[in-house]
Amino acid sequence: MEVVENAHQSGRVSVKRRDETFAKQLKTRIWQEIPSDSNPYLAKACRCYGYELFDLMQNCRYSEVLYLLFRGELPDKDESELLEQLQIALINPGLRHPATRSAVYAGVGKSDPAHILPISLSVLGGQHLGGAEVEQAMRFLRRASHKPVEFTIQQDILPALERRDTVKADIHPVPGFGSHFGDIDPLVSQIARHLQSLPASSQCMAWGMTFASEIAAYNIGWLMTGLVAAVFADLGFQPRAAAGLYQHLCAPGLLAHGLEYANKSLSAVPFVDDEQYQIEPPVDG
Amino acid sequence: MDNFALWDEYRQVVRSYNGGWRIGKGVYCHGHSIMDDLVGNISYMQMIILNVTGHLPERRLADWFEARQICMSWPDPRIWCNQVGALAGTLRTSVVAATTAGVLASDSRAYGGPRTIIEGMYFIQEALHDYNNGLTADDIVQQFCTRHSGKPTIMGYARPIAKGDERIAAMERVRLSLGFDVGPHLTLANRIEQVLMEHYDEGMNINGYVSAFLSDQGYSAEDASRISTVLVSSGVTACYVDTMKRPAETFSSVRCEDVIYEGPPPRKVSR
Repeated sequence: MEVVENAHQSGRVSVKRRDETFAKQLKTRIWQEIPSDSNPYLAKACRCYGYELFDLMQNCRYSEVLYLLFRGELPDKDESELLEQLQIALINPGLRHPATRSAVYAGVGKSDPAHILPISLSVLGGQHLGGAEVEQAMRFLRRASHKPVEFTIQQDILPALERRDTVKADIHPVPGFGSHFGDIDPLVSQIARHLQSLPASSQCMAWGMTFASEIAAYNIGWLMTGLVAAVFADLGFQPRAAAGLYQHLCAPGLLAHGLEYANKSLSAVPFVDDEQYQIEPPVDG
Repeated sequence: MDNFALWDEYRQVVRSYNGGWRIGKGVYCHGHSIMDDLVGNISYMQMIILNVTGHLPERRLADWFEARQICMSWPDPRIWCNQVGALAGTLRTSVVAATTAGVLASDSRAYGGPRTIIEGMYFIQEALHDYNNGLTADDIVQQFCTRHSGKPTIMGYARPIAKGDERIAAMERVRLSLGFDVGPHLTLANRIEQVLMEHYDEGMNINGYVSAFLSDQGYSAEDASRISTVLVSSGVTACYVDTMKRPAETFSSVRCEDVIYEGPPPRKVSR
């Protein structure tokens, strides 16, 4: 390849500010703070999408105000019930979950308790059964639920099964559906059946139930991320809110387990012996 | 065989490709004894690259990475990740919380390094493949624009806020002083820049330069990203330290009236 004249080397590249207009002030549709009469930095009242905070405190459930924050309107009774029950279903991923274990190691390691949630929620943001997969699953369900399940099986499931490695690791042939520890997750399937029975459950949940039923023959089914995505989609949340909302709903359990270990000694968690610490030959990639 | 046999193989053991601590014997990293072979003999940047790639790079390449790290983090709190550090300082978090929050902010599609470099390296590596198959730099730019609504939004070219990138000239000096030649990726990157300058008045940015240089050095996009994890940390810490020295909540104070409310008018919950 010929030598190309390098303007950077000769110092002929100038740096100039772009002619862009930046906002002078922040704007929001969500929250309004009314300044106090004596101090403009203090609010004497605030409103969420027009509703006064005390009105919400006295007349709404937490799940309703959560819905309001992300949708801009209060949910009806059925929507509120679906979100409330999903919140309880997700409240604790369980001690074995890698995100919870990261909370435990933060706790037992005497990390600042204020860091337990940021640590474990970061772990919960991943593409495998984490927030990133919930977002992908929402995008998938919003597209796929307009087509027959057979279409997705032919286009995505069967080719993925053909490509499947001989090593029996989990597969997620489409986001939110697959195997967990080699099999269909029975608890997630049970939660799905229950949530689908609620009145606010709609198109994505219904499609997901049919899809899960059809792909069960391949020993794959609902994953928690797919189930959460279906509920979020049916409630009208946007996919880009999915990862954060999922993290938010799982946060209480992560914090509880982290704090459960925060006063325990370092020996309260396994530190495997050298015999069980196996250094293996390097692999590339 | 049980469907869960794979997970049983990993139960109650910890496996590592890297090495680790053999208590009473030594600490190992990819076959090197850290205390005997590495401490005092290699730079910290070499150690970072060893931990990512499993291979100890030559010192001059690690020095190049270190110079690039300096380019990528400035103590200006107007930059998005640095603003996070400054805001953390004004609320009196720990320095670790502030710095890691700023680093997390830099995991961005728009700026930073860990994420943008992946796209930058994919682009220039594919572009060189196309170039070697007969396309010109002009063809490559036009092809990109055709696929992206006519816009030359190529990762590694143009940048927010300013036109031109002073960091490339600095890194060119470093490249020359360390004795690295210009390889085919960087040559093509320069040629693409010429096309963009001519047609769109946009130049290469530091990400484009780094993506091309590291492609010439044989790095994968993933490894380059992993080496770049904490690129912005020193600037974030600097901005945290600055606001820690000032009274709480004085970083760019905001009155209630400074926020424009654009939502629905006042209303009541109906039950």
